[in-house]
Amino acid sequence: MIKLSGIDKTYYRGDEAVKVLDQLTLDIPAGSFEALMGPSGSGKSTLLNLIAGLDRPSGGSIEIAGQRIDQLSESQLAQWRADNVGFIFQSYNLLPVLTAVENVELPLLLTTVPARERRRRAETALRIVGLSERMHHYPRQLSGGQEQRVAIARAIVNDPKLLVCDEPTGDLDRHSADEVLRLLETLNKEMHKTIVMVTHDPVAAERAGIVRRLEKGALA
Amino acid sequence: MNLFSIAFKNLARNRFRVVLTILGVAVPVVTFVLLRTVIWAWELGAEVAAKDRVVTRHKVTFIMTLPSRYVNELQQHAKELGVKQSTYAVWFGAKDPAHDKEFFATLGVDPKTYLDVYTEMSVTPQEKQAWLQNRKGALVGDVLARKLGWKVGDKVTLQTPFYPDTPNWEFAIEGIYQATAKSVDRSSFFFHYDYMNESVHALQRDQVGWIVSRVVDPSRAAEVGVRIDKMFEQQETQTLSQDEGAFQASFLASFSALLKTLNVISIVILVIMSLILGNTIAMGVRERTNEYGVLRAVGFLPKHLVIFVLGESVLLAGFGGALGLLLAYPFVEQGLGRFIEENMGNYFPYFRVTPETAIAAFGASLVVGVLAAAIPAYRVSKLRVVEALRRVA
Repeated sequence: MIKLSGIDKTYYRGDEAVKVLDQLTLDIPAGSFEALMGPSGSGKSTLLNLIAGLDRPSGGSIEIAGQRIDQLSESQLAQWRADNVGFIFQSYNLLPVLTAVENVELPLLLTTVPARERRRRAETALRIVGLSERMHHYPRQLSGGQEQRVAIARAIVNDPKLLVCDEPTGDLDRHSADEVLRLLETLNKEMHKTIVMVTHDPVAAERAGIVRRLEKGALA
Repeated sequence: MNLFSIAFKNLARNRFRVVLTILGVAVPVVTFVLLRTVIWAWELGAEVAAKDRVVTRHKVTFIMTLPSRYVNELQQHAKELGVKQSTYAVWFGAKDPAHDKEFFATLGVDPKTYLDVYTEMSVTPQEKQAWLQNRKGALVGDVLARKLGWKVGDKVTLQTPFYPDTPNWEFAIEGIYQATAKSVDRSSFFFHYDYMNESVHALQRDQVGWIVSRVVDPSRAAEVGVRIDKMFEQQETQTLSQDEGAFQASFLASFSALLKTLNVISIVILVIMSLILGNTIAMGVRERTNEYGVLRAVGFLPKHLVIFVLGESVLLAGFGGALGLLLAYPFVEQGLGRFIEENMGNYFPYFRVTPETAIAAFGASLVVGVLAAAIPAYRVSKLRVVEALRRVA
């Protein structure tokens, strides 16, 4: 599903080059649930961004589901993300002016799906994450755990093959974190989503099938 | 839900700021409307001037007079000049001592011909007849009559510094005229030239301020003017004849610096409006950088973000523009316009917000909305997704 070969990533701070990933090679099979762990600055978020098509490598190739995404143009990459990737962020990143169902519907605005069908799919996604009672609530009216579940519903509404999660439980209490992790497990096992999750939390990492550790830009 | 409705909902994020910004747009729009109305009203005379009237005045300046025999000479050669009818007027410069602070135009005219040349002045046949028959009769505009409480039959005494030999001039109001065209000042006071002429000092006698001629062929008004001036070329006072529009324009030319200043101020107001709006939009964009990052992550393109930013700005500008018009319209129509027409009718006989001015003000506010959002929209379109998301963390 995900094949990274000889990935380099270098950032520049003024004239200074900072190498974040160094000749990294990684193979993640379809349908797996993997956790990326490592100390701050080890390159795990950078790796996640590359897998999600949010950033481009300085060298090497990224192939996802048979497609070389490092060769796509900006607009092709945006379309690819819309079709293939669901994002779950640490701080949920819901639009505060939209209700839960509208937030979930947001990615569908980029498709040709008719308005009524868009709404139906958004409601279905919210039902899957157990929030059908909160559809018309605004983010400020939801708890952190509920907000993250709305974010998960937004991530799956397009039925993407890949879910990328950046510290999805980082802002949650243990109970809410458990609920979110259970939901991710369900999506992985029952809906066969491939999930790549960056986390600092060993308890969260245990829920993933495979745990990979990064240190200084390379897999340990 | 669509992109536009999201832009609309974004307005509700910081209601206090939005209200202040809408007011910040509305107030300049009110000012813009007032300034454009002043400019429009000032230029109205030249725009709506009759195309078939030629005004003949002293060649040097319109405040110098012409010999009254020029009127007779012009009428004698009317056919060869291409003139249907001529009349004349002289500036009397009088005031009513009972209303010392009220200014209105007082003109000595030929009552037999004046209303035939100025057909847009409307008066009943009975009142016209009464005015013609009374040598001390006066014809006053309806706005002036209403303002000073005059009615037909009233006796009025005026005083003028132009003719100091006669301290008091007695008149009887014989008629009240109305206007059928916007260009006519409804605050003027007309009386018999002969009444004035027979009473003034010998040195001031038999002088008229200007002569107005209706021409046979309006398309040849300029040629008629040239022929009239040629006729008086070899006499002691040379003339300058222009069609009424050009005459008004030459009068306006003396205020051209003021008009240009008003034009510049109205543009400066639009710039201020765009700065107010631009600041609000830029603040909003800065605060929402992380959200734009999320939108880009889930597949939105830079053009979608540009639609959000532009849409929000144009909506704000549109609301501000509409509110500005809602405030300006009754302010001018019910208050300021009437006050100006009554008190400055010579310069602004018709002071109202025209549909063109309202459309220009609303259109300008929308254009300013687009311009104000241009830089923030450009910056959003250049946003790198990873950097935008990093600001979240």
